[in-house]
Amino acid sequence: MELSQFIQNLMNGLAIGSVYAIFALGYTLVFSILGIINFAHGAVFTLGAYFTYTLVVGQFENNGLLKGVNLFPDGSPFSGQPLTFALATLLGATLAGLVAVLIERLAFRPMRSRGADPLLALVSSLGVALVIVNLIQLLVGAEIYNFPSNAYGDTPPALSFTLGGKIVIIRTVQVIIFAVSLVMLAVLGYVIGRTKIGKALRAVAESPTTASLLGISVDRFILITFFLSGFLGGLAGTLVGTAFGVAGPYFGVVYGLKGLAVIVLGGLGSIPGAVLGGLVIGLAEAFVPSQYSAYKDAVAFALLFVILLVRPQGLLGRSAIQKV
Amino acid sequence: MALLEIENLSVNYGAIQAVRNLSLTVEEGEVVTLIGANGAGKTTTLRAVSRLMKPLSGSIRFGGRDITRLPADEAVKLGIAQSPEGRQVLARQSIQDNLELGAYTRSGPSVKADLSEMYERFPRLGERRDQMAGTLSGGEQQMLAIARALMSRPKLLLLDEPSLGLAPIIVREIFGIIRDLNARGTTILLVEQNAKLAMNASHRTYVLEAGQMTFTGDSAQLVNDERVLHAYLGG
Repeated sequence: MELSQFIQNLMNGLAIGSVYAIFALGYTLVFSILGIINFAHGAVFTLGAYFTYTLVVGQFENNGLLKGVNLFPDGSPFSGQPLTFALATLLGATLAGLVAVLIERLAFRPMRSRGADPLLALVSSLGVALVIVNLIQLLVGAEIYNFPSNAYGDTPPALSFTLGGKIVIIRTVQVIIFAVSLVMLAVLGYVIGRTKIGKALRAVAESPTTASLLGISVDRFILITFFLSGFLGGLAGTLVGTAFGVAGPYFGVVYGLKGLAVIVLGGLGSIPGAVLGGLVIGLAEAFVPSQYSAYKDAVAFALLFVILLVRPQGLLGRSAIQKV
Repeated sequence: MALLEIENLSVNYGAIQAVRNLSLTVEEGEVVTLIGANGAGKTTTLRAVSRLMKPLSGSIRFGGRDITRLPADEAVKLGIAQSPEGRQVLARQSIQDNLELGAYTRSGPSVKADLSEMYERFPRLGERRDQMAGTLSGGEQQMLAIARALMSRPKLLLLDEPSLGLAPIIVREIFGIIRDLNARGTTILLVEQNAKLAMNASHRTYVLEAGQMTFTGDSAQLVNDERVLHAYLGG
């Protein structure tokens, strides 16, 4: 492989891998607190993209109940500038976070308060995911929606430079995705590692009983966790939607599965593991030669299979120890 | 008015009635001991006071306020702190983080001051402040659990089996700390299997048997009472 091609693949891999990472962190946060997988996380990812699209474009012209409705007859205030687009992305992610809080209230909390087997929440969260996906289809149809190219203002669509006589082209949106994901990871790392809220969150993850003996409201932290998780999922959805289009209500399903592969690969419940797992899978996919690109997912899951044979606890997972 | 008043408390632990019709009081400035054999209901009583367990019936009043239905985290804000059975330090966080989380309900510069005071009182914690709590010895973890509870500046300190599994020399040290804390004004409700030691460190004692209080009195008198021995042998 030539160096220019290598750089190109590397950048592709880092961009998609970093999105996998922030998306998978949403699973990890909830798993580390409740010990269960939130199967509605993929649907929240989808919603995040649709929320941002709604803010930026304001109408869905293809299909669904909302066909013909225009939220902003005079043009969206969130469109046309990089900063306003960023604001729409943050708002979209925030709304996705609030939906995740609602999901906790509807699908998880009632189970918990009745002392149900945690596994049952898998089913209830899967149910919520189906409702969300079908609602989207009912409202705006199943067609793909692409962000208009002028949505983020006058940014050049690609950066290009020559390397060893070859031109390397990197899409601006990929650079943005990578940068936003890195900032998000840094902020999250700081909050969880250094702040009082982060320490309390880790205390709840380690032992809810002990946390409540320290005056930490476990219920409130579960809500905070779901909000963060939904925010990350919604942000990832918008980032992917920006790069490849908002590809219908089932948009998040593939990412939902990929996210599961990422957290299992990295080690269930491990935050650095989710980041590493995301990057490893993203890079592995990017280096699949383009004529075999249909086998991308196969490569990702084969990698997962091989690594789990060697390290069943995942790359950075703790081996299972019995809590005493 | 007593700082803590428990009246006719009954608590179920799963299907078992762990505490039945228990009444007890703790006055401000006192050290009160609950003793009894394994399964007598001591820990359940403490967990009901710190609001980890819901009582079936009866009432718990703290500083005159009914706290029978209060959530556990709210009880901490009112001034109840517990050093739980088995110590329960946050193994994956540093000693300093454990102590700072002990002061979770507080804020301001007084937290920093209390932190240095804890390191002075427990020098071994000060030397290892950045070490993960899970790597400490049992005695050090017990000291951390007590120091962490003190970081909330409690009006009432609940200590559950502070001597459990520790070497005699460490146990003596822990009880020295308990006496010292009380001398400085902390009110303590202590649960212990080591009856003699606990009675020597406390003003009053309640003896529990199978979830019920069998008798109570001044610790100094009960220390030589044969009925205490009897309660332990379960005859």
